[in-house]
Amino acid sequence: MTVGLVVVCHSRPLGRAAAALASEMTQGRPVAISVAAGLDEGTFGTDAVAISEAMTAADDGDGVVVLMDLGSAVLSAETALELLDDEQRERVVLCPAPLVEGLVAAAVTAGTGGSREEVAAEALSGLAGKEAHFGTSAPAEAGDGSAVVRVLNPHGLHARPAARLVTEMRSFDAVVEVRNVTTGSGWVPASSLTRVTTLGALAGHELAVRASGAQARAAVEGFVRLAADAFGEVTEVLADPRERYVNHPTTGPALHRGASTSHHYRVSGGSLPEACGQAGIVDNSDVAGGSAKATGGAGDTERLLSGAPSSPGIAVGPAIRLHEQPLQIPDEPFQGTEAEQRRLDEALTAAHREIGQLSGDIFAAHVVLLEDAALLDDARAQIAQGLTAPRAWRAATDRAAGEFDALLDPYLRARAEDVRAVSTQVLRALLGVPPATVDGDGILLADDLTPAQAATLDPTRVAGVVLAKGSPTSHAAILLRTRGIPAVVGAGPVEAKVIALDGSTGEVVADPAPEVLADFHQRAERQKASRDNARANAAKPAVTTKGVTIHVGANIGSVEEARAAAENGADLAGLVRTEFLFLGRDEAPSEDEQVAVYRAIADALGGRPIILRTLDAGSDKPLPYLPAPQEANPFLGVRGIRHSLAHREMFAEQLRAIVRVARETPVSVMFPMITKVEELIEARRLLGDVPGLRVGMMVEVPAAALRASDFTPYVDFFSIGTNDLTQYTLAAERGNADLLALSSGLDPAVELLIQNVCRAAGEKTKVAVCGELAADEAVVPRLLAAGVQELSVAPALVPLTKQAVRAT
Amino acid sequence: MDATALTAWLREFARLVAENKDELTALDSAIGDGDHGVNMDRGLTAVVAALDAEPPETPSALFKKVGMTLISKVGGASGPLYGTAFLRMSAAADAELDGPGFAKVLRAGLDGVVARGKAAPGDKTMIDALAPAVDALDAAFASGAGLADAFSAASEAAARGREATVPLVARKGRASYLGERSAGHPDPGATSVTLLMRAAASTLGAAG
Repeated sequence: MTVGLVVVCHSRPLGRAAAALASEMTQGRPVAISVAAGLDEGTFGTDAVAISEAMTAADDGDGVVVLMDLGSAVLSAETALELLDDEQRERVVLCPAPLVEGLVAAAVTAGTGGSREEVAAEALSGLAGKEAHFGTSAPAEAGDGSAVVRVLNPHGLHARPAARLVTEMRSFDAVVEVRNVTTGSGWVPASSLTRVTTLGALAGHELAVRASGAQARAAVEGFVRLAADAFGEVTEVLADPRERYVNHPTTGPALHRGASTSHHYRVSGGSLPEACGQAGIVDNSDVAGGSAKATGGAGDTERLLSGAPSSPGIAVGPAIRLHEQPLQIPDEPFQGTEAEQRRLDEALTAAHREIGQLSGDIFAAHVVLLEDAALLDDARAQIAQGLTAPRAWRAATDRAAGEFDALLDPYLRARAEDVRAVSTQVLRALLGVPPATVDGDGILLADDLTPAQAATLDPTRVAGVVLAKGSPTSHAAILLRTRGIPAVVGAGPVEAKVIALDGSTGEVVADPAPEVLADFHQRAERQKASRDNARANAAKPAVTTKGVTIHVGANIGSVEEARAAAENGADLAGLVRTEFLFLGRDEAPSEDEQVAVYRAIADALGGRPIILRTLDAGSDKPLPYLPAPQEANPFLGVRGIRHSLAHREMFAEQLRAIVRVARETPVSVMFPMITKVEELIEARRLLGDVPGLRVGMMVEVPAAALRASDFTPYVDFFSIGTNDLTQYTLAAERGNADLLALSSGLDPAVELLIQNVCRAAGEKTKVAVCGELAADEAVVPRLLAAGVQELSVAPALVPLTKQAVRAT
Repeated sequence: MDATALTAWLREFARLVAENKDELTALDSAIGDGDHGVNMDRGLTAVVAALDAEPPETPSALFKKVGMTLISKVGGASGPLYGTAFLRMSAAADAELDGPGFAKVLRAGLDGVVARGKAAPGDKTMIDALAPAVDALDAAFASGAGLADAFSAASEAAARGREATVPLVARKGRASYLGERSAGHPDPGATSVTLLMRAAASTLGAAG
């Protein structure tokens, strides 16, 4: 396919020159560009008849895209359309892009075989480069009604920050519009959540905002402020994204980080016991197809199933079900536009009231959907066309959900579920169908749960949940975990009278035989006893059965976590992430401020040793005072020591602060992301020779692990960050739920690297592991066997890790 | 009104534009790109030449020829605007036009200008003269006036409409780039419309 182009402008030389410029871009692939410009060589003007002829000349049957300069060019091009026959007119797109930029972009796309719509869309985004160029250098020119900002949120503008944006922008008396400059999207109203999330704005993308109306300027300023604040997602930006999925203090062997109420929960593979081996996203068809199998010897009816472990804990009880009337839209006569609209408004108010009573970020996003201008306008338009309120609402929400379904980003695509959940809620109110109820006390079996259902289950009645469908990343799973209800999801259809489940392993037994039931009860007891025991012995040293003492430390990122570490019996702070001091502020912390915080951490730990890791910044968590260029892959970019060596003044200040604290209390320092020996030597040179200060390096990059012996002369200890070492060794992003099979557990390749580091370290250099594998009781013996002498885990996991050491 | 009478109208329009070419251009130089007089004169000269070469036999054919010539030869925005007006008039015109029939045809032309230019009354455009002229024509015929009175009323309404554009700030076309500075001058397009209606009064109005 080759779409033709038509240039319409006042000056013939200008038109010809623009066409020549664009032709250079098509790289030999001929694109028909017809010029209809000027009345003659020297007379400015446009000629509708000539334009219609140019449209015909450039059209090979694939149609044409017309680019115009201004004024009469636009009017004449429109007039020219009237001169074409209907069939040909259908194939002409008049594109409002700027002439030169638009023509160049259009020619490139036409040359690669793009459709008319694609060519026109590219032409429209032809200004993106220029806008980005000037936009970044002057992001918030006060006074004009526009600005360009960068998305700081690690997961982009997903539902929650988008909801915040929409809520804030609606509070201004202004018409505010946003577009994604990076992808070259069109403008969408900032008042519409569905439209804003279709921008597909990911971390690092640039958004342009423009506003008109009485408070236009205030709205733009508010937008810029909000963007700088990561649209209210401060804690997420503060957290080190590479550590985001590390276990976090909760009771027991928590599966997932504490920020589990957030939408972008990801499965943390390493902490799942090897035995469960279930991928995070469950393929329901497989599970449903054949996971139920008889267990040898047990009762006739017992069936053992497996699903994805979603919320830890053991639960046993009678199977109960949700009772829910189906939502069927009746065939009813249209009551008139006003009556139908009133029905819909009343249902929206009712749904609003119900959702408002639920706690959870997801529901804030749902409330915003209920107020979404685009969605409501669409429903209104459907009613105006004679659809009843339920049909209009379903049509509008189906369409909005469909738009999300079509997006490339899997996270945004999943927002279709939010739209469907809200759709159901409102339809229920419209049709007077009561919410689902549970018929008794026990283990709830369901196909899936809506977020609202998961949020309203009564934990005193529902001891556990088994879902046939869903994934551990669904809102329902997150809410169950937050609420401490043991759950297994993606288990396939289950029919049973009694259910036993282990939310830590994904094990589900339908109608267990008495001995199995007894086993579950015992396991529940043991789990409780083991936790109690671990807690009771938390403060005691962890000594292996062979009599070797292993120090178990805590990974911390705040003074508060330092206190939690002390309470949980940590022998030291094996990893102090100093990023929390540097992110989310306008200027770097001063030396004195750093000293005060490091001192407070040491105090909280009662004088136990602390290992400070120097700043591990990267372009995925940019420091406002050190603007970083956008990187295609921040995890392979300028981060850790690379970043520090590129910003030496700030690095030197941090080193000075560390040295000062080291004079008062046992402190070690280590450098992140060391790859080459030269980096380590340079970092040590900047640190200087400080008597008594132990110096180490993180081993996260496979290159460093492989060459450990080359680094040994320059360090007192190695600290192996297994999260990143696994990610980099297996080329598998840890946050990607589809790659759990690759990234969970201790991979043999990573084990070989750890063994190599221990061998190279020899007697004098200590080796520690500070990734989440250090808390995995199945992995601890293998780490100790390799020669690891120190473990560091999330504060809440210290007691259990010590127990694992004692069992080794 | 047949093709001959209407041809006389448009020839007179062409003559008036040629006579006032410099004034139109001067007006346009004050608030636009200074080409309205030249452009309209070029377009209407071409129209007269086309009518000389092959006199159309019906009002519809006449208006079509005028429209096509204007969209091709004027060059500026008044080309597609006047051109569209005449093309719509061509589509609306019957073989023989009485007064109300002509008013209906002229309103179709006005609708074409509005559709093409997306301007509204008060935007300081030719619509500010053409719309009151069409309204006056309708009103006159509705009250039983003859052609002479009706066209005279329309011509006066156009002139008043043009005067009313003087204090306005332009919101369309090249003049809109000037913003507030466009106030204090009459709109050139509205001025040429007064010539069109004056020509109608002296030809079509006199014929009745």
